[in-house]
Amino acid sequence: MTTPPVDIPDADRRAPLPALASIAAVAGFQLARLLTPPRLALAAIGIVFPTAVLAAAVNGIGTSIEPRLGIPMLYLLIPEMVCMLGLLVTMSPLVADELERGTWVHVAVRPGGRRGLLLGTWLAAVIWSGAVALAALALAILSDCIEGGARVAGTFAVLILLSCMGRAALFALPAVIVPKRALVASVGVALVIEYLAGLIPAVVNQFTVSLRLRTLLVAWTGLRRDIPAEFQLLVDINRPWYQVSAVLVLTAVFLAIAWAILEWRQFPPSDES
Amino acid sequence: MIEVDRLVKHYRASSGAVVRAVDGVSFHVAPGEMVGLLGANGAGKTTTLRVLATLLRPTSGSARVAGCDVAIDPVGARRRLGYVSATTGVPDRLSAREILRSFGELHGLPADVLEARVETLVDVLDLSAFADRPAGRLSSGQRQRVSVGRALVHDPPAIVLDEPTSALDVIGSRDLLALLADLRARGHAILLSTHRLHEIEARCDRFVVIHGGRVVAEGSRDALVGDAAGLEEAFFAAVGEARGG
Repeated sequence: MTTPPVDIPDADRRAPLPALASIAAVAGFQLARLLTPPRLALAAIGIVFPTAVLAAAVNGIGTSIEPRLGIPMLYLLIPEMVCMLGLLVTMSPLVADELERGTWVHVAVRPGGRRGLLLGTWLAAVIWSGAVALAALALAILSDCIEGGARVAGTFAVLILLSCMGRAALFALPAVIVPKRALVASVGVALVIEYLAGLIPAVVNQFTVSLRLRTLLVAWTGLRRDIPAEFQLLVDINRPWYQVSAVLVLTAVFLAIAWAILEWRQFPPSDES
Repeated sequence: MIEVDRLVKHYRASSGAVVRAVDGVSFHVAPGEMVGLLGANGAGKTTTLRVLATLLRPTSGSARVAGCDVAIDPVGARRRLGYVSATTGVPDRLSAREILRSFGELHGLPADVLEARVETLVDVLDLSAFADRPAGRLSSGQRQRVSVGRALVHDPPAIVLDEPTSALDVIGSRDLLALLADLRARGHAILLSTHRLHEIEARCDRFVVIHGGRVVAEGSRDALVGDAAGLEEAFFAAVGEARGG
């Protein structure tokens, strides 16, 4: 014999957007966790490093870097390197941190717990890594190392945002599939999927964020005409709106898969150590 | 309120062998009742509680929380369950108030309900002296009180506690058990696992003893103790019989 579900008057009165509230709550406490001296020091290095590299190049050649060289350098340093490293340290511990800290059980027993944990951590990773990358961009432009660098500030801000959104969602997959090896697996994913598969001119690179970002970079900065014919295959032929949409779709798909895996996964008590 | 019926949970160990952590456990906890779940380490207590908390899926059998089957309606079960574990797992950088608020938001509680609930818990759990201090600076007893508050933030009708007093001193344990007695009096169903039998001997309405994933004894204190000197001796007798058999 079974009884019907018990009414819970308070909890049955739901907030207008409970999913958003739970995501914001998790993002808030993940960001609070990031405000530690070691993480802030790492962020400071991330902000200064691109400008230091550009300044060293300027010092070497004795003049500002011309856009044809400076823009790709800036792209490799910020939307690729700074964003990737920031996301690796913020997104990879998605589940492992919770298991190690003993918080996983307390989050997972909430109605919106696992979804909130995934999306809240993703949001925190995007905000943290995006803020570091935008600060690095501002410093690089203010340093005046690249001729006309200020003209590409808006383009780079969008590339940073898309890079953070897409790659944070991508790194959510190793984080939920192999939580205890997530950092190593995420580095592998970055190298094999984003940089190896992303540079293969075949169907497989259509599923990478790097192809979309490269394509947007050359389209929005006018570098497409400067690319040698043999390298034209490394960028997509479709228009910028298509590339932006592709990153958004990839982000949604990666997060949906990660969510499904996270809802399905069970962690025996022995995993919490 | 809490119903466990022929529950089975098997794991596959890293060696490939199947571990029968829970093997046909049945019991129930009625509203306004506090039941002690007793067993040695590895008996299957934590696995049973984690199935009830929807953290693990049953291999077979069923578990229901306030009318919601954990396998069919896990979200409904989560909304009606408060879960406290031995590891408090409170975020070091957040204060008690922030923790209660954040976890209330994970339940989707409206802002007005949540604020009132947080203040009630701060008052009931006597957190006011340290409610705005980062949890990393709290004692283990204070952290456990915050952990209990986090489990009660949505006022669940069913409460499951896995060794909640293991990190507490005598006073902390007594206060927590007094709070549980109060919750029981207000109609909550409480299932409590512990190794500290003397603490709960006089407080629980009934006891369920499990060993090797099976229920080996069940009943009120008087029914279990019989001619034995106390609950601890009765527990050893029940487990000893199971081991011998």
